[in-house]
Amino acid sequence: MKGIIFAFIGGAFITLQGIANTRISGDIGTWQAATITQFTGFIMAFIILMFVRDSNWKDFKQVKPLYLIGGAFAAIVIFSNVASIQRIGVTLSISAILIAQLIITFIIDSNGWFGLKKQKVKLPQLIGIGMMIAGVVILRS
Amino acid sequence: MILGLLFAIIAGALVALQNIFNSKVNERAGSWATTTLVLGLGFLASLTFGLLFEGKQLFHLENMKLWYWFSGLIGVGVVVCLVQGIKRLGPTYAIVIALTSQLLIALLGDTLGWLGLAKVPFTFNQLLGVLVIVGGIIVFKFGGSFEKQKVFTLPFVKGNKVSEVQK
Repeated sequence: MKGIIFAFIGGAFITLQGIANTRISGDIGTWQAATITQFTGFIMAFIILMFVRDSNWKDFKQVKPLYLIGGAFAAIVIFSNVASIQRIGVTLSISAILIAQLIITFIIDSNGWFGLKKQKVKLPQLIGIGMMIAGVVILRS
Repeated sequence: MILGLLFAIIAGALVALQNIFNSKVNERAGSWATTTLVLGLGFLASLTFGLLFEGKQLFHLENMKLWYWFSGLIGVGVVVCLVQGIKRLGPTYAIVIALTSQLLIALLGDTLGWLGLAKVPFTFNQLLGVLVIVGGIIVFKFGGSFEKQKVFTLPFVKGNKVSEVQK
């Protein structure tokens, strides 16, 4: 039960983050919003890291440099997220983001890019994607 | 409309890439070290784009409200909740629940016009649409094959990590 609540709140926070960023962008600008929220988040995570110390710097050295820069995508993600919510609202925006996300990951997985083990494409995954797209069509009808 | 969807698709595609990259970092480093790195780079990238497009204007924060400083903490909350949820439920269940709540909370936020959003009146079609999408996610995630689920739909998903990296 506790796990369900944690997972549910985690998801709710993701949406809330998009809504808050949209609001803040309206008042002070999108790049400002992205810079400030990432900065305060970073400081907080850093403080927690100082307490838990769950790794040391050497751990990062074992990671291929390309994979270390994933965090930088956040700037464009936040900008696009806000621009999208402003134009089509939260529900449609989040739906489209999730579908795009699942499809891209699915493509990467089934081609075995980025050193991932190639996955066979099976019917349920295609049906699932079809249902999600149908849901968006219903959503905006 | 089209532009709004296009922005959403760009965001979704980058989130997908980011989650794969972050999972790879998380395989070697702990969740908090990974989170700190990810948010730190997100900050630097936002600062760089901000300076590039707006110059000094980036630091004009006239309409700043106090809570704006704290909203970045939501991102930290996301990590705490997901790490805990996955620890208790395993990645597949936790992710399906989190994706579902993302959509339901979005519908609620639109309907109530949270934080000054333009209210989108609630309709039956909207609820139906969200439910069909959730159904699709469930079929996608639980529908056989893809046995060692490697679809990283959320960041820092330990059990969902790329454990079988091709050598």
